[in-house]
Amino acid sequence: NRMKRARARHKPCALKELEVSISELGLGFMSDEIVLFRYCSGTCNAPGQNYDISLQNMRSKKKIKKEKVRARPCCRPLSYDDEVSFLDNNNRYHTVNKLSAKECGCV
Amino acid sequence: MILANALRVLLCLDEILHSLAGPSSLAGHDPHGWRTPVDCVRANELCAAESSCSSRYRTLRQCLAGRDRNTMLANKECQAALEVLQESPLYDCRCKRGMKKELQCLQIYWSIHLGLTEGEEFYEASPYEPVTSRLSDIFRLASIFSGMDPATNSKSNHCLDAAKACNLNDNCKRLRSGYISTCSKEISATERCNRRKCHKALRQFFDRVPSEYTYRLLFCSCKDQACAERRRQTIVPSCSYEDKEKPNCLDLRNMCRTDHLCRSRLADFHTNCQVSFQSLTSCPGDNYQACLGSYAGMIGFDMTPNYIDSSTSSITVSPWCSCKGSGNLEEECEKFLRDFTENPCLRNAIQAFGNGTDVNLSPKNPSPPVTVPPKTENNPNLPDDVNDSNTLYDTSVITTCTSIQEHGQKLNKSKEQNVCISETQLPTDSMPDPNTFLDPKASSSRHSAGVILSTISFFLVKLAL
Repeated sequence: NRMKRARARHKPCALKELEVSISELGLGFMSDEIVLFRYCSGTCNAPGQNYDISLQNMRSKKKIKKEKVRARPCCRPLSYDDEVSFLDNNNRYHTVNKLSAKECGCV
Repeated sequence: MILANALRVLLCLDEILHSLAGPSSLAGHDPHGWRTPVDCVRANELCAAESSCSSRYRTLRQCLAGRDRNTMLANKECQAALEVLQESPLYDCRCKRGMKKELQCLQIYWSIHLGLTEGEEFYEASPYEPVTSRLSDIFRLASIFSGMDPATNSKSNHCLDAAKACNLNDNCKRLRSGYISTCSKEISATERCNRRKCHKALRQFFDRVPSEYTYRLLFCSCKDQACAERRRQTIVPSCSYEDKEKPNCLDLRNMCRTDHLCRSRLADFHTNCQVSFQSLTSCPGDNYQACLGSYAGMIGFDMTPNYIDSSTSSITVSPWCSCKGSGNLEEECEKFLRDFTENPCLRNAIQAFGNGTDVNLSPKNPSPPVTVPPKTENNPNLPDDVNDSNTLYDTSVITTCTSIQEHGQKLNKSKEQNVCISETQLPTDSMPDPNTFLDPKASSSRHSAGVILSTISFFLVKLAL
């Protein structure tokens, strides 16, 4: 089981999806409509760029101290899905943009 | 599992029998059955290749331009042109809804037919090919859908379920969001929205999204007002339907008839939803699907119909017009309006779709109607691993085993075939391939049994109706 969890944690960065109600998204809209929420999940294991290696070294040598830096790539959406429209529980239509990921990558 | 397989074979046989019955009933539905209709764009090409036909056609078009039928027929040359053209393929040609060059096709159709008919007839013949697809497919889908979500069955909102099904399908979601955002975009304080763009987006939605999604949103059955209000809101009526004033229905009809597309969709509605006293369902040829299709075909035009309120008990639809100010045409106006508001064919078709029932009758093939598997049925196909597959179980539950007929009619009318590829699994994200028989997974035996039972046991439902 632990192995399973460990393996799950090391899945490469990819698109996943979830069926959720609009209300659950926490955007302030009250609607029972179910939408497909696609998100990016997984680790970015590819060897860091020269930038990442250099940044890490600069940090360990205390050349960079106070700033917040990230020396590893992140699994993030490269592009977003089209807009999503829905009817809320007061019978008003709304449209939200960039709700759902379309393509993921290590950036 | 053996039982399930046996049932699957039976189901397949059932489908083959249905599709074999298809062609014969087809002729019965088609008022011009003795001649296969060619599409008008093609007929025009055939005519253009023949010098006598093309010159007569040119003459006729000049005759009709800006003139009514009587003044045109007063001219000998025009009359002769019309007579010759009645023998050409142009006379019988038809168009297909959503076809390429639909407008061009309809222009060709009306250029001949305006000369042939009185012009101001109450009902005009539809320029569209008769709907020959198997009726029961769409209803079977509806019945499967309406039996879903057993957990929420007591308090289910079918219109909400329909929205979910659409949202989980990329194509449906995209085009639905497309018309909703267009139709609810406010332009200025005085202009609520761009109606023209809204209508166009609605037409795209109803033309390009398969009817198992669009009908489900439009004709969902409701038990409470919230559901019925959602159903009424489907087409964003504040933009696409309502207006500051309600015009007179006959004025609205005249406006619609100046536009080839609107005129054709209205004629199609009159052809397919006209109350018939000879049939059990009040619909011509007992074809519910044709009526629902031509109703949906009017959405996005001047004659856009919608539910007039969010009542659950009585379903009343109407275009945005009234019979005020009809003068001496009051009676004609009322008659026109009643085809929407008090039309038993349309009402039965909407209710049958919502309930997932259908009556599959055709004159030559008096087989019993395909009816619903019982509503309380469990969804047989919930994914085992919910985490892994929040994908479209909606589409994977569809069991179709359709004849090529609907899709390959142009290729070969006489040799209908049936393809049943058992054990084929649908890729989760795509639309169901109509030529593929989907194995509705192992636990489907109950469901298959339901379908078979219902296909065999029709008369009970008939009697109930």
